[in-house]
Amino acid sequence: MSGPTIQTRTRSLKLRHPVAGTLAVAGYVVMIVPILFVVATAFTAGSTLRFPPEGLSLKWFGEALAYSPFMEAVVSSLELAVLATALALALGVPVTLAIHRGRIPGKGLLEGLFLSPLVVPELVVGLALYQQLMIGLHLDNFTTLLLGHTALLLPYAVRVTGASLALADPALEEAARGLGASPLRAFVTVTLPMLRPGLISAGLLGFVTSFNNVPLSLLLQTRDFRTLPVTMLDYVQQSYDPMVAAASTLVLAATVVVAIVAERTVGFAKIFGGINR
Amino acid sequence: MRARSTLLLLLPGLAFLLVGFLLPAVAMLFAPPGVTFAQVLERMGAMLTDPYDLGIIWRTVRIGLVVTAICVVLGFPIASLLARSQSRWAGVLLALAIFPLLLSNVVRTFGWLVVLGSNGVIGQILTGLGIVEEAPQLLYTELAIVLGLVQLFLPLAVITCYSAVAQVDPGLDEAARGLGASRTRSFWTILVPLSLPGIVVAATLVFAGSVTAYTTPYLLGGSSQRMLSTQLFSYASVTVDWAAASATAIVMTVLVFLVSGISALVGRKGAIS
Repeated sequence: MSGPTIQTRTRSLKLRHPVAGTLAVAGYVVMIVPILFVVATAFTAGSTLRFPPEGLSLKWFGEALAYSPFMEAVVSSLELAVLATALALALGVPVTLAIHRGRIPGKGLLEGLFLSPLVVPELVVGLALYQQLMIGLHLDNFTTLLLGHTALLLPYAVRVTGASLALADPALEEAARGLGASPLRAFVTVTLPMLRPGLISAGLLGFVTSFNNVPLSLLLQTRDFRTLPVTMLDYVQQSYDPMVAAASTLVLAATVVVAIVAERTVGFAKIFGGINR
Repeated sequence: MRARSTLLLLLPGLAFLLVGFLLPAVAMLFAPPGVTFAQVLERMGAMLTDPYDLGIIWRTVRIGLVVTAICVVLGFPIASLLARSQSRWAGVLLALAIFPLLLSNVVRTFGWLVVLGSNGVIGQILTGLGIVEEAPQLLYTELAIVLGLVQLFLPLAVITCYSAVAQVDPGLDEAARGLGASRTRSFWTILVPLSLPGIVVAATLVFAGSVTAYTTPYLLGGSSQRMLSTQLFSYASVTVDWAAASATAIVMTVLVFLVSGISALVGRKGAIS
């Protein structure tokens, strides 16, 4: 990414090849344009999801903010996402430390085990938790959702903080120990600061993943505790008015804020690049 | 680190994984409530011979393959364009491509209702221009599902291909061009083969995501275009047919494992050659 190769890159954003250029433009149209239409229809004064909108108004935003199922669901989703992320980090970071710094056989297998919730389809995990924990063990739906989301986020916690830990030089920690620091003190003052970008990345990724999750959460909903995406999904299926467009636009605005925070702290290309490897 | 402290660090995570994921998953496959494993297997056998169920499996695979192909064909040019440019716009465009990953699938998929719906953008344009009398039925078609899934997974394809392209030394491109290769030729003989492992990873992620996605086929496919995911939900919550739900879950999981396995093999071969 650095060094002498830099000069050979083009400074301007030239569409080097007409075919490649056309495909790239088509890709952006598919990714971005439908989202813009959501925002545009949210400002309609009319009562149908029609484009172009019939007049401008903020009334649907008012409706969305006054619609209590959405507002309750926002609180539920925030609560769940924060707790699941914290729990996944609390469980995942020690695992990462053990995998990278401990002397144990079968490290690859162990890491694979902790990444396994990523491989099984989420809807299948949701079904399993619904059957076995909610129906079988009579756990309430919040506890089941929390267990499920935490399991889903564990791979992120282990993989992303692991990438950070792999970059941290263990010799620094040994030096601190050699200079008389206790293991705990060496960890807190030397290792933890080096892990910070990884912790922030894993935290943001976990929060966003949990907050937006549908497939795993779908079967685990009850009237008492419902998450926002599932509530929105149900609403769209029942009535087809611009209120969901307004709610979506509010979600979009909040997401832009998260994106800016992500970009300022670690850089979100890095955050999302970390999980795929 | 001593063996005992390593174990202490591992235990809470392991215990959690066991309770919150592994045990329920295994128990669901072998003993759904009130159903024996034999019944699950029997239901699965029936599924693999019933034309309706086979139709759903085939639709799921077909949509997965089409979406994967489109995402690679659109995503790789975007990734190579962005990875090979130093323009400030490249950073903005990369951010724009990755941003949707933060955004709820419900919001992203909802956009297609606005575009494809009966009062939607495309219908309005077609009738407004007098091309057709009545807006064509675009929602609840396979095309709608494909469009929705491409939008959902293209960012994933872009960022995965981007890291692959960024690892290919741009000097190789330049060398090929210096030796007289056309842009097209250097693209196909240098860039594509060298980033192939990344392309394989991207394709696997997109395929696995597409065949297991729920929101998009639910909203854009409706009940006429069932996929494995929507069918699984309907077995589990509408008809409460645990044997069928488990059988569908097994088929879906095997499909994902199969494709991940094949791509791991292809990836290993690519790395050797």
